[in-house]
Amino acid sequence: MSIDYIIQIAGPMLEGARTTVLLFLIVIVLSIPLGMLVTLVAKSRIKPLAWLAHTYIYVMRGTPLLLQLLFFCFGLPQIPVIGEYLVMDRFAAAALGFILNYGAYFAEIFRGGLLSIDKGQHEAAKVLGLSKWQTLRKVILAQMFRVALPAVANESITLVKDTALLYAVAVPELLNYAKTAVNRDFTVTPFVVAGIIYLLMTLVLTLFFKLLEKRFKFE
Amino acid sequence: MSSIIEVKQLQKSFGSLDVLKQITFEVKPGEVVAVIGPSGSGKSTMLRSLVHLEEITGGSIFIHGKTLAENGKYAGSAAIRDITATMGMVFQHFNLFPHLTVRGNLELAPRTLKRESSQVIAARSTELLTKVGLADKADVYPSMLSGGQKQRVAIARALMLNPDILLFDEPTSALDPELTGEVLRVIRQLAEENMTMIIVTHEMNFARDVADRVFFMDNGEIAESGTPEQIFGNPQLERTRTFLNQE
Repeated sequence: MSIDYIIQIAGPMLEGARTTVLLFLIVIVLSIPLGMLVTLVAKSRIKPLAWLAHTYIYVMRGTPLLLQLLFFCFGLPQIPVIGEYLVMDRFAAAALGFILNYGAYFAEIFRGGLLSIDKGQHEAAKVLGLSKWQTLRKVILAQMFRVALPAVANESITLVKDTALLYAVAVPELLNYAKTAVNRDFTVTPFVVAGIIYLLMTLVLTLFFKLLEKRFKFE
Repeated sequence: MSSIIEVKQLQKSFGSLDVLKQITFEVKPGEVVAVIGPSGSGKSTMLRSLVHLEEITGGSIFIHGKTLAENGKYAGSAAIRDITATMGMVFQHFNLFPHLTVRGNLELAPRTLKRESSQVIAARSTELLTKVGLADKADVYPSMLSGGQKQRVAIARALMLNPDILLFDEPTSALDPELTGEVLRVIRQLAEENMTMIIVTHEMNFARDVADRVFFMDNGEIAESGTPEQIFGNPQLERTRTFLNQE
């Protein structure tokens, strides 16, 4: 495990880590609003819509993420007739799979957050003359995010590690570079370096969410 | 003087259970009405139906002569909001917004409804917090307050929209006995300022002191009503006497 060797492989591995970080950011930024939307639709009084949202959550939570990624990357183009229009860049296809999967998990997290809010909050807002939409925005969502924060943090850290599934659909990223180096150089060092890079990423996230939790303590 | 609240044959039932049975009463501007009675007698349900927190199944409610509900049906949501905007409500469990500071709680509704400039709103929240004795708590979150302080914030919040009518749903029932005094003092001061109020309460001494009229509710109806002297001094019904002796 010479220092020179580590410096030599660190370059390409950090290159791979860029793909990891990029995927993470895209998925977080899009799946949280998607989860929010699905939660609200699942609570909707329009039954077919609510049913659709529940089915979506059930399917995405009830099947392996790996299966979903393979489906989006390699399955979609095989669908008769429309398949040829569904060929995507593999990174984009995988990102879509991640967003849909994490959207479902975030929807469940937010649903739990909504359940924790006392109905007195709705009543107080109503008596103060706020509309349903104003109540949702100014009273309910703010409290829901606070309640959901620890679970969102947990899910985000899981996402960092799940990005390694890109390996299975052959999108080059951190783990992919590590595996290549291990095979080429007959050494375990690249795996250790990859582990350290993952740990650094999750450390940053952990500290970030700790800060958020402190900031939104309401004391 | 015409009535500010007029309730006619108000009725609410769950299946075959009648929670409210043909309740009829009027309240004049500036009047303070205390509603007493055993648990489950429909006091809170009656109060909550005046601001559409409960659906009713029969009867009519007029506020300022405007129709809030007629023959068991509430007006449209815009009309409901328009009418209930003149009424404030204080809850047993305060229902403060935990994610906002005390000042934030007071200013949320007026700032959202945008009928006044933010300077006017800020000036009034300061004034009202001073009035309830909590000017020094403006920037604190509700979790740091005692129950009595929370309820005083809730009263100030209800006053922010300049209501003509204040409804209190057991405002001191969730408080430790030593904290009820500070809340009752604020309500008493509002009574002296001629605020129209309906107060559902278990505090008999307070009801006797502050109310112009007392309703004794039992089993979904106003069994007996009159001045505090009549109700507490010379109740006509056996069940009123039984209730008062238990309290």
